[in-house]
Amino acid sequence: MKIVFTAKGENWDSPMDPRFGRMDMLVVYDEKSEKLEAIANSETEEMEHGAGLQTAKKVLDLNPDVIITGNGAGQKALEILKRSNVKMYTGAGDMSIKEAYEAFKNNKLQLQF
Amino acid sequence: MKEIVVISGKGGTGKTSLSASFAYLEGQNALVCDCDVDAANMHLLLGADFSKREDFFSGEVALIDEEVCTNCGECKDVCRFDAIHVKDGQHRVDPISCEGCWYCSRVCPTKAISMSTQKAGDLYISNIKQDAKMAHAKLGFAAENSGKLVAKVKKIGKELADELGVSYIITDGSPGIGCPVISSLSGADLVVLVTEATVSGLHDLQRVQKLVKTFNLKAVCVINKYDLNENMTKKIEDFLKEEDIELVAKLPYDETFTKALAMAKPIVEYDKNSNLSSRVIEAWEKIKGKTI
Repeated sequence: MKIVFTAKGENWDSPMDPRFGRMDMLVVYDEKSEKLEAIANSETEEMEHGAGLQTAKKVLDLNPDVIITGNGAGQKALEILKRSNVKMYTGAGDMSIKEAYEAFKNNKLQLQF
Repeated sequence: MKEIVVISGKGGTGKTSLSASFAYLEGQNALVCDCDVDAANMHLLLGADFSKREDFFSGEVALIDEEVCTNCGECKDVCRFDAIHVKDGQHRVDPISCEGCWYCSRVCPTKAISMSTQKAGDLYISNIKQDAKMAHAKLGFAAENSGKLVAKVKKIGKELADELGVSYIITDGSPGIGCPVISSLSGADLVVLVTEATVSGLHDLQRVQKLVKTFNLKAVCVINKYDLNENMTKKIEDFLKEEDIELVAKLPYDETFTKALAMAKPIVEYDKNSNLSSRVIEAWEKIKGKTI
């Protein structure tokens, strides 16, 4: 399974970013290869509008099975995300990436769709 | 640290007056962010000193290189914003009308039009009267608020709050339900919805609550001027019940609001012992209780 975390840093101990569209960093964990990869999302910082859609595209290009985030995405990004097969879990905004992963494994996060 | 974001959907409900009062009550223990950048005025109530400033860039504007331009007029023909005019025989861009869409730059046969980033306003860190700090911004003429600008103000605010070790960030959110509001709400621990007893007060509350729900955020509500129309207040209360939102205060119409505003003071500073102030204090205590 491939999981995307919305994060503020690039390793397991980094804090999660509760935001979707303007998240600092996309952190991708591939359970098969056990590899953790970080992708900067800094260009959305320079976008006046439309950060959600841009980030949704970036996330979907990675073809993940699951997105783990804090508050969830906005209306426009949601529309796009819901049309793919990805599942979104929320409620991990205050955790580290490691804690968010554990919480996901233990069914402690809310399934959005 | 908890971030409390105050929003209203509708303008004129008393959102900023209340945010400023909450901030004043919390004193040094709160960092203030004014994200209502289109009509920033919280700095007036809190006596901001604009001590630190930096430029804020946003959007682009077309610029015609007059040396290369042949005045063919193709740019003027395609401009949807009527931003290109001929003055003294030379095509020129009016930067206020220009929306930065790139159309003219794309069609120019001599490549005389370049796009440059535009300074949209200033970002500030201020010391405020209750010996606390505030992050805010001011826009230039014809510039508009954006998710980007709100995110910047919040980022500066968050860094300051971490540095100062305060317990609360109090954010005066933007009105409406668009991009700046979404950006204001991001990362909030609690949302305070301020509404008033009018048809549009309820309507805009419903719209903004829909947005709050999308982000799975916890919200409480203040009904201001509830006695203007008690039927409407009843309808608002019914809506709050349906949505499971706690009503933390019902404030009566009170001229103290405008009098305090005219003196550039938060309500609780202007007349600490008034009935209105005690209700605001009570509301703030309840709000804080909800963040635990």
